[in-house]
Amino acid sequence: MTQLVEWCDRYSPLVAADGEDGIILDITGCTHLFGGEGALLLEVGQRLRRMGVKAQPAIADTWGMAWALARFSKKFLVHGENAVSALASLPVEALRISSEIVFSLRRLGLTTIAMVRNMPRSSLAVRFGPALLRRLDQIFHEAEEPLTPWRPPAPHRASRTLAEPISTTSAVEYVLNDLLQEVCRRLDKDAVGSRHMELACYRVDGTVDRCEVRTSKPTRSRVHLMRLFAERLKALRAVFGFETFVLSVLDVEALLPTQIGFSEAKTAPVNEESSLDALIDRFGMRLGFQEVNRIQICESFLPEYAVKLYPVTGPAAASAEWPAYRIRPVRLFEPPVRIEVSVVIPGGSPVQVFIGGKRHRLVRCEGPERLTPEWWRDKSSYEDVRDYYRVEDEQGLRFWIFLDRSESWFLHGQLP
Amino acid sequence: MSSRPALEEIREAIGCLEKTHRRFSRTVSIAEQVDCRIPFRGLPRGCIHEVKGTSISSAIAYSAILSARIAGREGNVIYIAPGKPLYPLGLLPYGIQLDRLVMVSVRRPQDLAWAVLEALRCSQVSVVMTLMSGVNLTDSRRLQLAAENSGATGFLLNRADTAPVAAPITRWLISPQVRRSQRFDEPAWKLDLLYCRGGMPRSWTLEWSNRELRALGAPALQKPGLFHTAVVRTTREALAG
Repeated sequence: MTQLVEWCDRYSPLVAADGEDGIILDITGCTHLFGGEGALLLEVGQRLRRMGVKAQPAIADTWGMAWALARFSKKFLVHGENAVSALASLPVEALRISSEIVFSLRRLGLTTIAMVRNMPRSSLAVRFGPALLRRLDQIFHEAEEPLTPWRPPAPHRASRTLAEPISTTSAVEYVLNDLLQEVCRRLDKDAVGSRHMELACYRVDGTVDRCEVRTSKPTRSRVHLMRLFAERLKALRAVFGFETFVLSVLDVEALLPTQIGFSEAKTAPVNEESSLDALIDRFGMRLGFQEVNRIQICESFLPEYAVKLYPVTGPAAASAEWPAYRIRPVRLFEPPVRIEVSVVIPGGSPVQVFIGGKRHRLVRCEGPERLTPEWWRDKSSYEDVRDYYRVEDEQGLRFWIFLDRSESWFLHGQLP
Repeated sequence: MSSRPALEEIREAIGCLEKTHRRFSRTVSIAEQVDCRIPFRGLPRGCIHEVKGTSISSAIAYSAILSARIAGREGNVIYIAPGKPLYPLGLLPYGIQLDRLVMVSVRRPQDLAWAVLEALRCSQVSVVMTLMSGVNLTDSRRLQLAAENSGATGFLLNRADTAPVAAPITRWLISPQVRRSQRFDEPAWKLDLLYCRGGMPRSWTLEWSNRELRALGAPALQKPGLFHTAVVRTTREALAG
């Protein structure tokens, strides 16, 4: 069912599943793309049949009317006055009401919609509650019935339906280039840029492949988007070929046109292709945006919490000041490595460390720098009071080691 | 201007063909005693440099110092590495602007070379630092050309015992040394220039103190290189007119 809803996406951006056995499409303004309502009705019916789905499409003025026509009528495309007369003779079940109400209506001898409609409203309301009247109003367009699409409609969309299915990447690229050109022109007109784009590729057998492209900054550069898509197109599997492509911009942000400066030398426009944002987008598309980070220094002296990485795409985070006397290593071992250390007197500074079976005789030692656990954090295994020492061996190798509460030594980092 | 306009014209034409006049002319100073021994009078930008370290953290710190000088206040520094072997707080004493640093972690090994090449191609990137070893000649040339076109400088760091990068512009070896300074944020290194295009291998003792690099002790000539510095200098001066 979900797959069918997805498949119907090609006809209109507003599609929703209607109960267990129906799909509702808001085709306002879409029909001319498929040669009018009659042609659309015919095409949907034929295609669904060919896919082996038993379904009856109907087009009418309201959701309720189309629902009734598809299930209970022999006419599937009616409007205005014709619709009222077509509905009049339909059974009360066509009103989309619960079986209890249908049962009591039938017991009263009200079998068609026309009969129910001719009854005084007040007595209907008293006997059957507001549900019946609401349905009655909805079917004759006297009350609004909002449609909740299966996903929010894209603010910008372009689609291409091909005469022959295509399966090669280069052919898809050609179509995509065309679509991008159209969408980018529209984005340019609205002074917005895309943050999130999606290309839906409809296969001949009714399944849909989607590839998404997210960017760190709003963009409407066709060349840049094309490059980002190229990475994704490789993963497409055209089994029997694609016949329809829909490119939707799912998220836009304002992007004002930039003024070209008078003095070319000073405001030489950076080629959008080679800008840092374009690079970050390429990294993000291939490696994942969570792998491209900036650094934030946090208000904590514990080495595990002092530095936080946040994605480049997110808002900039303010860094805390770091006191210069708290010297930190360039490399941090996570988790710390257990080492053997010899000391002259218990509780004194280390004189020798054994790292990886190798002995390092220390010539210089600085510390201890005591780091206490922060009470607002969860306690973890080595999160206890730690005494850190900076040590240097005879060859000049510098380490950052600590002694924990249980008198065991750990190597936590390497100083340059 | 010139008394011999024809000669000037030819010189310009050759210069345009070879790009020699601007190829390695943009440099950054390391330390006075080191600069004067390098034919380019400093570390050339827009090139790839290999920095080997007996301990990798020394190599990171040395290239961080140079990166900070190249990038200045506004330049972007990109650090690409498999996993996350860099602790940014440790870089603070070496002048790098942490808000201009972008950390990229690469999980699949085949993505590393791609990421480095893409980063070097970007003209808004000042420095690319990465952990990379065993680069063959073709890949190395590719990186070098990307760096030359965009003006980005690449530091390829690796351990002393790993396979080298083929044909970088310079290759350094950094080994930690016991320093005179009492402070742990002012390290000292033995700096070996293993290879330099058009230059000779040399060694210095380098100290980082008061946010400056100082080279100690006049180094002895290790072995005569292919080109003598003086020859290179005269050629450059002749070309520059």
